[in-house]
Amino acid sequence: MITISINGKEIRLEKPMTVLEAARSAGIKIPTLCWHEQLEKYGGCRLCLVEVEKMPRLQTACTLMVADGMVIRTETGRIADVRRGILEFLLINHPLDCPYCDKAGECDLQDLVEKYGPVTGRFKEKKRKVPESLEDPVIVRNMERCIVCTRCVRMCEGVQGASAIAVIDRGGHSHIEPFSGGRFDCEYCGNCVSVCPVGAIMSKLHRHSYRPWQLVDEVETICPYCGVGCTLVVQVRDDVIKRVVPKLGTVVNNGLLCSRGRFGYEFVGSKERLTKPLIRIASKTHDASRVTHNEIFREATWEEAISFVAKKLEEIKDKYGSDSIAGIASPRCTNEDNYIFQKFMRTAIGTNNIDSTARTGFAGAQNFIENIFGQGATANIIPGLSNSDSVLVIGGDPTAINPILGLQIRACSRKGGNILTIGKVKGLRFFNPVSLKPVLYTETVLLEGIVTALRERIGLPGSNPNLEAGIKDINISDGEIEKTCGIKGNDFTMFMKILSESSTPSIVIGKELVQSNSGNYKLLLIAAINYLINGRIYLLSERANEQGLLDMGCAPDLLPGYRPLTFAEFRRKYENSWKTSIPDKVGFSIFEMMDAAKEGSLKALYVMGENPVFNLPDARSVEAAMKNIDFLVVQDIFLTETARLADVVFPALSWSEKDGTFTNMERRIQRLRKAVHREGMEDWRIISEVSKHMGVPLNYSNPEDIFNEVSKVSPLHRDMTYEDIEKGEAVYPYKGEPLRGVSEEIKFQVPSSKFQVSDKKLYLKLERPLFHSGTLSTKAPALVNIYPEAMARISPDTAKSLSLGDGDIVRVSTKIGSLELPVSVDKELDNSSVLLSNNFEGKGAFSLMEYTLDSVTKAPCIDYNEARIEKVNI
Amino acid sequence: MKTGKEFIKTIFFVELIKGMAFTLKTLLFTPPVTRRYPNKVKVPAQPGFRGLHALAKNEEGKMKCVGCGLCGAYCPSKCIYIYTSEGEDHTKVVDRYEIETPRCIYCGFCVEACPFGAITLSEHYEYSTYSRDSLYMTKDKLLENWDKYFAGEKGKRYFRDFWRPKTTDFKGYEGQAMFKGNKNEK
Ligand code: SF4
Ligand code: SF4
Ligand code: SF4
Ligand code: SF4
Ligand code: SF4
Ligand code: FES
Repeated sequence: MITISINGKEIRLEKPMTVLEAARSAGIKIPTLCWHEQLEKYGGCRLCLVEVEKMPRLQTACTLMVADGMVIRTETGRIADVRRGILEFLLINHPLDCPYCDKAGECDLQDLVEKYGPVTGRFKEKKRKVPESLEDPVIVRNMERCIVCTRCVRMCEGVQGASAIAVIDRGGHSHIEPFSGGRFDCEYCGNCVSVCPVGAIMSKLHRHSYRPWQLVDEVETICPYCGVGCTLVVQVRDDVIKRVVPKLGTVVNNGLLCSRGRFGYEFVGSKERLTKPLIRIASKTHDASRVTHNEIFREATWEEAISFVAKKLEEIKDKYGSDSIAGIASPRCTNEDNYIFQKFMRTAIGTNNIDSTARTGFAGAQNFIENIFGQGATANIIPGLSNSDSVLVIGGDPTAINPILGLQIRACSRKGGNILTIGKVKGLRFFNPVSLKPVLYTETVLLEGIVTALRERIGLPGSNPNLEAGIKDINISDGEIEKTCGIKGNDFTMFMKILSESSTPSIVIGKELVQSNSGNYKLLLIAAINYLINGRIYLLSERANEQGLLDMGCAPDLLPGYRPLTFAEFRRKYENSWKTSIPDKVGFSIFEMMDAAKEGSLKALYVMGENPVFNLPDARSVEAAMKNIDFLVVQDIFLTETARLADVVFPALSWSEKDGTFTNMERRIQRLRKAVHREGMEDWRIISEVSKHMGVPLNYSNPEDIFNEVSKVSPLHRDMTYEDIEKGEAVYPYKGEPLRGVSEEIKFQVPSSKFQVSDKKLYLKLERPLFHSGTLSTKAPALVNIYPEAMARISPDTAKSLSLGDGDIVRVSTKIGSLELPVSVDKELDNSSVLLSNNFEGKGAFSLMEYTLDSVTKAPCIDYNEARIEKVNI
Repeated sequence: MKTGKEFIKTIFFVELIKGMAFTLKTLLFTPPVTRRYPNKVKVPAQPGFRGLHALAKNEEGKMKCVGCGLCGAYCPSKCIYIYTSEGEDHTKVVDRYEIETPRCIYCGFCVEACPFGAITLSEHYEYSTYSRDSLYMTKDKLLENWDKYFAGEKGKRYFRDFWRPKTTDFKGYEGQAMFKGNKNEK
């Protein structure tokens, strides 16, 4: 116990801390500028000086540790003099352009000068002049205003881990450089913007259009982009979102955001948003991309469109049966939307043909892992990652796919944890990873080798005989790894030493692994590794509610709460509560729907908030399949490629215009809140209207109603209320019962023949960029500014052999198509890959990729598409 | 207990009669003090009167206001609405500056708050009308008001003699810091 006295108040402390922290815990405010609770201590601004008895000089409270018996005073005449002096110095060069500066009103310097500052300055010389820099796509720099507190630098280096900026020059010339264009690229997370105490680094978005005190409406909600589920504070003026900021103390992201979350909100107010229901007038054989949408559709009233859809669906149901209709749910819609959608499909339509793009990896992988370790095996707390002593990353770059999760891995490295990576993980390359980069298509061998080595080092624990049966015969020697995968023996030994000795390891699995050849076998090997080292698994999730949609039963074989449809008992429970019968036949997966559509047995498809024509591999054949469907209904916020093929398009309300819940990848249910108003209906409301017109009323007045039903019928969500969610108590395993310990026999397929690769060939791979997520982000101008167009990324060697340079236009072709794209040379890339993203309309990688379905996970394998590149001469 | 004298006074309404007599005298023998406004008498407002708002222009005839929003923040009846945006050259542009005058209490705080002496209160007070809309001051109307009521010398005198924004000669409490303008600007 340490007892100190601050301003005569006695404070008892359990553990050592700084004087500043002690004062704050007792509610005593000490002014600070360079200190920030998220950052390393610095002690540079000296504003926090305090008087400590028996110490001759004033001390900085933010760095001084308390000692028993300390007597501290924080506000004395002597201190006030010093503070006044410091502020006078800061104002020597500070422009005092508060009336123009967007920071005024929430500027620390302004507040401090108001409270402690000098009446006038004595400095007569000219102030420094630095022109404002608008070079960066999303950040404005005004270095006149910089007070060199280095908060931004410490944020960028110590928390974000991008090290994109530093203090350049000295004394009065100090300024912060260079953001983009330096050796380390700025990740445009904007976290430096949040910590800058003055208006030196600010967001470009909605610049000069608000003052902080005019943002009267503030709503706490969840990011619409990825499965991390960061809490955002949306600040609104006159029904327009002016900015999105993080909040300190939130569980998932604690005051941090990534570029998508912070700068990607402008799609909400996009002029391209759909406003009225549309009904097709043109014939389906039209080339939809060539004509404007006025030629394809006419605007209709809600009433007309809804009754038309209801009538058509009834007709098709009567004529061809319920199973000729299918539905695609959305990982961008709320739990409530998805619950209503599957209920509509199962009751009003009477089919289990419901699936989503989660099928392209997440669903299958999760299912596979849960079959081995029990339900909830992937529900691990994200901040926990930083406390692991080693993190193994495979199948993708977490710092791009789930950036805030990526930060936790970087934090782990900073705390002394070991980072192990398999394959290229660009975002972790400066975090001292032990990196194994197997030659193309030899990942399986490497994983087998790891399992072999672990088995030898640790031995089989015996608790999961099923899994052990699968791996006991695997035998790959170190020598074989060296020979086949091209990995040096030393590297492998080091890797194995760390992995086998770590006591709290985590494994982060990306979709690339699931979407590669023999994905299920690789998953089995990863599961085995996890089993042998006793780790925790994190499955990266690219969409905000991918998990929630599965929880809500938007899968052909699962009822809400992850209850298998094939168990009559579960079905009966739902039949009783829904007071109707549920078909027992397992429905079509999203790929089976496409096959059925191609051959003509699928007559109608209802797509809610998804764009399969773009987001499924082999996009062109998906398009052909869609054209073959008699009646296509699309519900979306933009006229997507899929919507252009639809017979009826419903405009939906988007992310910040509705209430509901999202479930993130760690299975934390969080509240999405309405921030701005817009005419129209939420997805669930449109569907219930259609259902009502079909004679199956789904009566709910608001999302909470729906959620209450979910918590009644789904054993997983039992008794959960919005109140629990608000309190942050909706963390897996909730209050209900998960299906733990389901130990079915593990199905997997050992690959028979290895892929033959030659160095000469190029393979088309999917790029998963940090700045984009699906096509949604391409409607956010700020993100488009950062990453403006689709690019074919190739390695320097490839570029050299084809004599290509940045910006040259090439034609990338595969067996099924070709695209003309500018080239970007990527130093980190291997010589066998061409990277292309799947975000930009008309330039998606999926339009060039064929796929085969994995026999177990049913995920598409897309990593074998050979590509050719040739220069296009213009 | 009332005295006998008071008792008699009460009975004979002496006080009442006194009062009536005074009233009668005033009514009949003194001239009326009522000013026959607006038909006969019109007294000009004294300099410094707080009347209709105007947005000041600088020597070049450009609006002085930069849209900092301080007037609106300070206004006790919250009747000033300011909308700004980023202009072509990335500077701040005042798109809309509006005052809902029926709600204004003519306290003059907006004038004091303005660091640029951009919002002013003119001596003009005669603007009652039959429609609310015409009382809603837009940026254009406010700028027009400047030309109407502060043209020439009047504007200069206004700033010299009366509305001196806080920033030029305001004396705060001891030790209070304040924005004194940038002496060596440009
Ligand atoms: S935006 Fe992020 S990455 Fe870029 S300089 Fe700021 S903190 Fe660093
Ligand atoms: S830019 Fe802002 S955060 Fe960075 S050193 Fe300057 S004042 Fe501090
Ligand atoms: S990490 Fe994911 S959830 Fe968090 S801000 Fe970024 S995109 Fe949004
Ligand atoms: S005079 Fe007073 S009430 Fe009227 S606009 Fe100015 S601050 Fe507001
Ligand atoms: S305080 Fe002055 S400069 Fe600022 S908005 Fe009001 S009138 Fe314009
Ligand atoms: S806050 Fe302590 S020195 Fe800056």
